[in-house]
Amino acid sequence: MLSHSPFSDGRLASCLRLLAAGDALLLTGDAVYALAADTVQRQALELMPDSVALFALEEDLQARALVSLPARLTAVDYSGFVDLCTRYARVNSWL
Amino acid sequence: MARSMLIVSRQSPWSGPGAREALDIALAGGAYDLPIGLLFLDDGVLQLAPGQHGATLQQKDLTANLKALSLFGVDKLYACARSLADRGLANTALAPAVEILDAQGLAELINRYDQVITL
Amino acid sequence: MNERLIVGEHPVALDKEGYLVDLDDWSEAVALQLATAEGIELEADHWEIIGLLRAFYSEFQLSPATRPLVKYVARELGPEKGNSQHLNRLFNGTPAKLAAKLAGLPKPSNCL
Repeated sequence: MLSHSPFSDGRLASCLRLLAAGDALLLTGDAVYALAADTVQRQALELMPDSVALFALEEDLQARALVSLPARLTAVDYSGFVDLCTRYARVNSWL
Repeated sequence: MARSMLIVSRQSPWSGPGAREALDIALAGGAYDLPIGLLFLDDGVLQLAPGQHGATLQQKDLTANLKALSLFGVDKLYACARSLADRGLANTALAPAVEILDAQGLAELINRYDQVITL
Repeated sequence: MNERLIVGEHPVALDKEGYLVDLDDWSEAVALQLATAEGIELEADHWEIIGLLRAFYSEFQLSPATRPLVKYVARELGPEKGNSQHLNRLFNGTPAKLAAKLAGLPKPSNCL
């Protein structure tokens, strides 16, 4: 789970390297900016293997007016967020 | 059986409180006998470079603290091979000694722990 | 409220829990006076642990919690002294906090 802007530090790049098949990436807060069109961050997310699921917190997307999102993205609300946390064996929060 | 925790430390020792906070979690967990692993990733591997002097910057010496980890029961220390290579540390003797892992090793490591926290 | 200790002619500043503010203020005379305030008469066994704690701090730059203190003492002095019974008896049942105080170290931060 990422929550920092992908433009100001290396968390996204580093996290992408660690993701393995069956993992999911949840973007919250400024991390949803990684979904902005015409960015290398967006490209990197699109290039993740299909075995890695991609989620983002809906209200953070709306607040930042992020539209034309990738097809593989699933937007979740807070109860969806909680659901994800219980569905996966462990949550790695990138503080 | 206590739940195991992997702490991923990815900040340089001098850039802010992140490295210190990661170490404090490891020391506290170790003092309570929790199964703790500590992985140095990205700039975190800079904490392992030898010969650093915190006093020059009026900071406490984090590298001295790291050497106390084994007395706190934290002896599962790992570092990312790529992070080390990117920072010119691939052939440097690190202190304290750590197990160096490639991408495959990192994925297996993370899957061995119940909880993971990245600072 | 912060306290002060007068040792000889020198005032020694203490924090509100009675730990030395400046670690360089420590001397055996300071330790004796701090111990008296805690109702402890320092003997050879105490001094041995106080000396070890100061060595621990100078090597690792931190005050040990109980478990690492026991481990360290066991490593340096053997298991007869490196066990919590011995240390509890010497330092009123709170060896990490009290021995650190008498050795002039900061309060151990991982000791809740």
